[in-house]
Amino acid sequence: MAFFFQELVNGITTGALYALVALGFTMVYGVLKLLNFAHGDLYMIGAYIGYFVIQWFGGPKALTIPVPLLLVIMFVLAAGLVGGLGVVIERFAYRPLRDAPRIAPLITAIGISFFLENSALLLFGAQPRIYNTPDFISFSSGIQIGSVSIDAVQIMVLVLGLLLMVGLRLMVNRTKLGKQMRAVAADREAAEMLGINVNFTIAATFFLGSALAGIAGVMSGLLFNQVTATIGFIAGLKAFTAAVVGGIGSIPGAMLGGLLIGLAESFITGYISSTYTNLLVFALLIVVMLARPSGLLGRAQLQKV
Amino acid sequence: MRARVIIATAALGALAVAGCGSTGSSSSSSGGTGAGAGTKSCVASVGMEGPLTGQVAFLGQEQLHFAQIALAADNLVNHTKISLVQGDTQLTPSIATTVTQQFTSNTKIVAVVGPAGSQEVTAVGPLMARAGLAFISGSATSPTLTTGTYPTFFRVVSKDSVQGPQDAHYIISKLHPKALMIVDDQEVYSTGLVASMTPIFQAAGIKVDHESVSQKTTDFSSLVAKVTPATSVVVLPWQVASNAQQLGRNLAQQHKKALIFGTDGLYDKKNFTIPGSYVSSFGPDITGIPADAAIAATAKSKYGTFGTFGPPMFAATHVVDEAIASVCKSGQTPSRSNVLAAIKTTNEPTSILGQPVQFDSHGDLVSGKFFLSKINSTGQYQLIPSS
Repeated sequence: MAFFFQELVNGITTGALYALVALGFTMVYGVLKLLNFAHGDLYMIGAYIGYFVIQWFGGPKALTIPVPLLLVIMFVLAAGLVGGLGVVIERFAYRPLRDAPRIAPLITAIGISFFLENSALLLFGAQPRIYNTPDFISFSSGIQIGSVSIDAVQIMVLVLGLLLMVGLRLMVNRTKLGKQMRAVAADREAAEMLGINVNFTIAATFFLGSALAGIAGVMSGLLFNQVTATIGFIAGLKAFTAAVVGGIGSIPGAMLGGLLIGLAESFITGYISSTYTNLLVFALLIVVMLARPSGLLGRAQLQKV
Repeated sequence: MRARVIIATAALGALAVAGCGSTGSSSSSSGGTGAGAGTKSCVASVGMEGPLTGQVAFLGQEQLHFAQIALAADNLVNHTKISLVQGDTQLTPSIATTVTQQFTSNTKIVAVVGPAGSQEVTAVGPLMARAGLAFISGSATSPTLTTGTYPTFFRVVSKDSVQGPQDAHYIISKLHPKALMIVDDQEVYSTGLVASMTPIFQAAGIKVDHESVSQKTTDFSSLVAKVTPATSVVVLPWQVASNAQQLGRNLAQQHKKALIFGTDGLYDKKNFTIPGSYVSSFGPDITGIPADAAIAATAKSKYGTFGTFGPPMFAATHVVDEAIASVCKSGQTPSRSNVLAAIKTTNEPTSILGQPVQFDSHGDLVSGKFFLSKINSTGQYQLIPSS
């Protein structure tokens, strides 16, 4: 039973990360119907920002500020800078193509992804940058229940991930900006005619989605200890899959999809074999898609004729 | 020894003067052609294939740096004008194939050093053979590469069929595990080593849990949860050291006592420092070889820290440089065929790797060996006897 709970904790932690990145994917798709393949690379940039914040404050072994303050700075800076980068990308790469055939912004997104990845490679080099999290957040600061270990970073990722997801849901459902986002997602032209500033709303969506990716990047650095220029590819792929499984465009769907993939990976690795993890996870997802082509929480699109 | 001192001194001089870009070759089949490669100008190009970008770019960059150091030194000693043409393979066979096609169509290139991975050699071997282009890898260790299929292939490191059994026997006789986990990273190199080690463990009555994760995986918490109290060793024939570091941290996080036994790619003093771990490598730590001190110092001052991937590439480049120099010395113009013939007769009594370099009829290093290190409590690597 302890083994089950250990894998459960591992799966939820990883799933929370996937969910955070998937949220950005699904939000952007919701308002623009654009698959933003550069989204995973924003996660990578967030992870680098977290790394450099640690270095600026003396490095993992000689921090000059308290750890809680360091974490706040890491998350705030990553969210702000990556969110800003998302807005810049939207303004200069996607907005000019908003009315172009859908393949054009899609290809642009792939181009932006390569641009970010190779820029990071040139700027930061190919060597992995190591967070060395255990040097400033000890394993012993976590919880030990029997033989189940939940370290402090896992707890933080779970709590913060949950708060962000709930906060985003409340924001989308209960604020003016959220209402504008939903209106733009439903019908951009109609929203514009009703006086909604569509450009601002889309930019705000990019900011929020990218900020979440930046925060997830810092979380990944703290959890997995390393950041390279290429980590965004796999994260983006998993998040995209999570968004599609959950129902692309659906915020609760992205959360559910992320958690589902994280848990499936964890339990398949634990109870079957890591050799078959990707095979079985994606086979499972194919089954889900066959049963519910719009995703678990997605709605079938009405065809206008 | 004398030849290596000459090379090292030349490396320092050449890099100081030329800023490290090309040129240079020294002792060849006889251990030192130094007298100048003939009276006329000895000009040739050598291709260099390696993962210069991508996830293991650190490895390719290190190989490139050592190839450049060797070239600079050898050009100075041999009075040759050999230049290096770089080709980025990203450790991907399809990209390596494209790079090789570019190299084979470039008639100035008379030999190639690299590529890094066995899977790449498999992809480019037929192209190289068709072009009659000799290529020497400093890190491709799959046994299948030297069965005669690729007649122009050579390597300056030993092969997995030597390393796998050697490491397995060491683990059995020195670490005495009752159960172990062995994890491949889904690359040819890794799966090959796992295939050669697993039957030996099983024959010794050890319970083996074989797992497999992608090289791009960075979360090992679920995998580590499977490490039972009886599992005392986790064997990682991997190429990405920081992944092993993370797995080591996951072990500590879940209070698992198993120690890590890694190979080649884990020899990375900066990124893999889990105390108590073992790492076997095809190349030695040249900072511990007195005769290589000058080369090590040059590499460190020019490029910073390095591991075990660079020195074999130095050795491979040196072999090519010497072959070209010997061709020139005999009054011929370097071509693919005469350089290939010269490489086949290589007989260096010593090398940067601390062992002779001589090839058998299939391009394998004669009497190649592996080196074993243990990481102490402060994260330092210590060379230990491998048997």
